[in-house]
Amino acid sequence: MISARNPMKDRVAIAAAATTGFQPRNTDRSQASYVAEACKAVLSQCGLMPRDVDGLCGSLPSAPAVQSMLGIPEVTWFANPMIPFGNHVAAAVSAVHSGLCDVVLAYHGAYRMAWNTGSALKDPFRRGAAFGAAGIPQPESVAGSVGYTAWASRYIHEFGVPRTSLGYVAVNDRTNAMANPGAAMRDPLTMDDYLAARMIREPLCLYDMDIAVDGGDAFIITTAERAAGLPLPPVLVNAVVLGMTDKNEEDQAPSLRRHGQQVTVEALKAKSDFWIDDIDVLLAYDGFSVIALNWLENIGFCEPGEAGAFIEDNWAANDDGTGRIMIKGRVPVNPHGGSLSEGGTQGSGHLREAVHQLQGLAGDRQVAGAERALVAIGGFFFNAEGITLRRA
Amino acid sequence: MGTTDQDVSDEELCSLFPGAVDRDSAAHYRGRLRRQLLINRCADCGTWHAPPRPVCPSCLSDRVAAQPVSGAGTIFMAVFLHQGPPAEGVDYSTPYPVVTVDLDEQPGLRFSSTVVGAPNAEIQIGRRVELDWITRGGAPMPVFRLTGHEGEGAA
Repeated sequence: MISARNPMKDRVAIAAAATTGFQPRNTDRSQASYVAEACKAVLSQCGLMPRDVDGLCGSLPSAPAVQSMLGIPEVTWFANPMIPFGNHVAAAVSAVHSGLCDVVLAYHGAYRMAWNTGSALKDPFRRGAAFGAAGIPQPESVAGSVGYTAWASRYIHEFGVPRTSLGYVAVNDRTNAMANPGAAMRDPLTMDDYLAARMIREPLCLYDMDIAVDGGDAFIITTAERAAGLPLPPVLVNAVVLGMTDKNEEDQAPSLRRHGQQVTVEALKAKSDFWIDDIDVLLAYDGFSVIALNWLENIGFCEPGEAGAFIEDNWAANDDGTGRIMIKGRVPVNPHGGSLSEGGTQGSGHLREAVHQLQGLAGDRQVAGAERALVAIGGFFFNAEGITLRRA
Repeated sequence: MGTTDQDVSDEELCSLFPGAVDRDSAAHYRGRLRRQLLINRCADCGTWHAPPRPVCPSCLSDRVAAQPVSGAGTIFMAVFLHQGPPAEGVDYSTPYPVVTVDLDEQPGLRFSSTVVGAPNAEIQIGRRVELDWITRGGAPMPVFRLTGHEGEGAA
């Protein structure tokens, strides 16, 4: 059931976003140290002290650990949502709008661990968090990452699309990441490079899968009124949706046309004041390339199976074989480089880039005069999330 | 092996399938010990569901129980792992097939495993499969084997 009710519309703002940048290797730092660095930076941007924070929201480290680490004297609300980061936005915005707290420090530590890279096991400090109670998964499971590969096989089978459709996502991300000093992967990538890359989980290759990184992002989320008195331009949260369907297991989802993304899009259109003709920047989650293609289709830029052709029609090619998506020659997609090239941030990077674009802080990749953004975070099953943002 | 579910304590069952078994999936794993593929079915409305839940997602009846399926079906999705988690009998030097199969018992009722006895080039979406069994870690594991040539009923 989808409701258009949205009383929090434009009442809560993201006042600032900060990042540490991302490293594609096991650094000699803890996850907490990246979270601390990002949190200190975002507080500094706002001219806030730890005592000004009364809400905390993040996954790892836990909110109590982060409160203790940063010496935040008192909070009246906290939450430790599951990834991806749209869950954190939904929780924090709701908490501020309802009055559970006024100033939320929301954080995400992207960190190389065994669930996203086996090479994390080479670092003894990372082994402790290696596997949960379920132990090492069996190869025959399509839960988690393998599920997206399985649905990529279905996507290719149903629509007969070439691998280049997926490759465009990787090339777009890498070309954009070259203009992002915080991105993990900044060497040029061409379609030939993509097609020559080794398979990891066929039909997906090395460049179809996000890169495990060390780094962190942090955000200040507060009332629109409070944000108006802080140093940076407030970014208003117009609508948030966490869409999900009943058959949300990776192997039981009915089809590519019936999963969380369709619910997210339908509800976001009902709740939001603007849609794709009005946006200046699109963040389409790309933890796996096939997810971004499905977002383009489900958001309504094109029909199912046509995302590759849509990208071809909206491709800004460079002479050296790099290139990027520019929808109608105007709207970039994942200008920070996305999960595939900035690094696997589970959506915090997509949100931070949208905030920076709307605040005019996106450096060499700034979209001139950007006022509205659509942020589509997460995949198909229990993690399809949408946020519309606008500059105040 | 002559093993029956009554022979195996909860403790032994959990140790045979490390990390995989909970209260709601125990019947499925006991079925594996008899080389029966069991999927939850509602005794009131007859709807199958997976993974096993304590109530029927279609009618919310509590009268759900793990029942045998034939294991015949059609490949719905197919992945070939060039690398992956370590497991007995799995060598990624040849990419390891993992398929999700639409079971014949009900549209959209699916089970995932590997395919044995076929070259990877033959393992394609739409191909028909039947159930077979291998052993891993001393416990039977359901797998698929290709049958016939042409796919039917692919969604």
